[in-house]
Amino acid sequence: MKRFLIYITGILILTVLIAVVLDVIYTSIFLQSKNRGKIETVFNSEAQKFDVIILGSSRANNHFVSEMFEDKGLRTFNYGMSGGHLFEASLLLKLMIERNYEIKNVILEADLNLSNDQESDGVSAKFLPYIHNSNVIRNHFSEQKNFNELYYIPFYRYLKYDSKIGFREIVKIEVREKTNALDNLGFYPLKKHKNGNMKNNIVNLNPLTHNRYYEEIKNICKSNNINLIVVMTPMCENVVGMNYFDKVKKAYPEIHNYENAVVEDKYFSSCGHMTDEGAKLFTARILRDFFQK
Amino acid sequence: MFFNSLAFAVFLPIVFFLYWFVFNKTKSAQNALLIIASYYFYSCWDWRFLFLLVFSTFLDYYTGIQIEKGKSETNRKFWFWLSIIVNLGFLGIFKYYNFFVASFSDLLNSVGIKASPILLDLILPVGISFYTFHGLSYVIDIYYKRIKAEYNFVDYSLFVSYFPLLVAGPIERATHLLPQVKVKRDFDFEKAKEGVYQIIWGLVKKVVIADTCATYANAIFDNYTSMNSLSLILGAIYFAFQIYGDFSGYSDIALGVSKLFGLDLLRNFNYPYFSRDIAEFWRRWHISLSSWFRDYLYIPLGGSKGGLWMKIRNTFIIFVVSGFWHGANWTYIAWGFINAMYFLPLLLSNSNRNNLDEIKLKLNLDCVKVIISIFSTFFITCIAWVFFRAKTIADAFSYLKRVMINGNFDFQYLDNERYNYEFLLMIGLFVLVEWNNRTKVEPLSGKRSLLRTGLAIVAIIAFGTYSDYKEFIYFQF
Repeated sequence: MKRFLIYITGILILTVLIAVVLDVIYTSIFLQSKNRGKIETVFNSEAQKFDVIILGSSRANNHFVSEMFEDKGLRTFNYGMSGGHLFEASLLLKLMIERNYEIKNVILEADLNLSNDQESDGVSAKFLPYIHNSNVIRNHFSEQKNFNELYYIPFYRYLKYDSKIGFREIVKIEVREKTNALDNLGFYPLKKHKNGNMKNNIVNLNPLTHNRYYEEIKNICKSNNINLIVVMTPMCENVVGMNYFDKVKKAYPEIHNYENAVVEDKYFSSCGHMTDEGAKLFTARILRDFFQK
Repeated sequence: MFFNSLAFAVFLPIVFFLYWFVFNKTKSAQNALLIIASYYFYSCWDWRFLFLLVFSTFLDYYTGIQIEKGKSETNRKFWFWLSIIVNLGFLGIFKYYNFFVASFSDLLNSVGIKASPILLDLILPVGISFYTFHGLSYVIDIYYKRIKAEYNFVDYSLFVSYFPLLVAGPIERATHLLPQVKVKRDFDFEKAKEGVYQIIWGLVKKVVIADTCATYANAIFDNYTSMNSLSLILGAIYFAFQIYGDFSGYSDIALGVSKLFGLDLLRNFNYPYFSRDIAEFWRRWHISLSSWFRDYLYIPLGGSKGGLWMKIRNTFIIFVVSGFWHGANWTYIAWGFINAMYFLPLLLSNSNRNNLDEIKLKLNLDCVKVIISIFSTFFITCIAWVFFRAKTIADAFSYLKRVMINGNFDFQYLDNERYNYEFLLMIGLFVLVEWNNRTKVEPLSGKRSLLRTGLAIVAIIAFGTYSDYKEFIYFQF
């Protein structure tokens, strides 16, 4: 039995060692990643100057045409992330501040995402490789349920989110395979879909009266003298429960309601996402309302 | 509590410690602990079904004794049939009632008679097919006087409910496991080490091969109408490796865990995809079930005695019943039937026992023949797997039809956000490792075992699929 206990202890030590070594290798590879996504690019970047930064979910990513801002002489990047919640938007902004970005304006899409202050696993996972390299990331995750496992167990974060930051992603970073996340200055244009879902039911959705990460973004902007423009972006015509936007307006009067800025279904790829054409109409309206000199 | 869960990683060391350090004085203490652990393990799924397990155990224990004690043949027969009917009755109600009623209703509707079936809202108790078959084999063996009845209820309960085999086999025989639980187990370092190797290799099969293949197979099978020929072919291959990795991985872990407690279970898989014909495949795939059907169905039906037609009839019966054992769906019956069709030419040409020897490859013409026969056996097995995996028989036919008529062999991007070919390299590597170690139970033991074990752990940690967690497929059977 003694031999077996020594043997099994050896196997466990070997397992921990392998996990530590893999953790170090994976993290060092992620620290070199620059063209795979918005989070990695911001984390591994130096100080930059922007006139406009766009934050939010896919409804920011697909709706704000960065080049139209640039045409007006405004240095802009769309950091909207498909599937992202305000948890990730806030953290990304914190990272930019940590890297001494000089930002004049932040446009934040805050509408459906105000209904929760949870992290979005698929997106937040992309921050995790850097959890030991950034106090901002560590502190941001520190109140999450599984923080201890993610922070203290070597390689656990890569194992838990293997589809996002696992072996496959490591290979893609190493072979320098580009994604389209950074194309078009971060804006991702959508086409009209024949089978796009043009019905949406948000009856059961309610905005939180105090969304922690929205408040965080407001405070960061305030303390860094950044002009924060918060908008609700358009939805298609067939949405059931459109009074959600009125509830948001009631809870957060400072948020500008643009849900009706573009209404016709022909401008929508799916109910919550406009096509490239719709995005251009919407961006033109935003530019006119907020950036008209 | 799955073998690849954190809960099991806590449960196993606790039971191991108690077994060898606290309850190690007598055989009774060891068995009592394993029974408690097994019942706890089972109740982690649904404690209500624990009563069913205990009842089934008691029924077979009691009827076994009554059969042995029976003074007249009528008396023996009574207890024998009571056990068979109650056991199969439970299995029938929980697993097959809805299927039969719905199928009968469909039949009536198809001939114009309106029928609205009364379906039961039942959950299938985990492992019912497995522990029912344990009990059945025990009672049948007593009835035919092959074994003596077990009078110690704890020992018998352990034979039926032993947690490594409780939910997905291997289907044990009283002749094999009962003698082991009748004696006190002493710790054997070599056996325990073998167990650890098997557990590690089982995990490789499950989390690296099966669960990753599952993401590809699901993405292809669930969207097969928009897949091209190459994707569909790869889908069948991915599923073949998914089910092999899943079930043989489970079996390896079960055998390995059991060895930690000093008990040997029946081997369930013997590198089935290296089979040279379908008969050999069935001698290597889910061995405990195949041999169960051989001993308790095929042979009692007359086996290969009684002429050609009898042989054919019996072969079809065991393959179809074996398919049906997997689940109440026509797809499983079709899968069994297809395998029987594959078997038929071998049976007719009396060559179903041709490939009993070990596979050896030498550089000559025979080597080409062997390779071709292995590939062709794998190919026809994959076709059968399409029926096993598809939701309906019509879907399976459409799937295969599309493979042939689509004619597009381009790489395709799948719903799992990967290209259809991406996992082939890993499968190739896995096949190579298994091929080179096909004479052993697992590939980690032997020379450079530490290096092999280390590489297996690297594979589990770095290449496993964890974010898209998959239950063991055979738990549902």
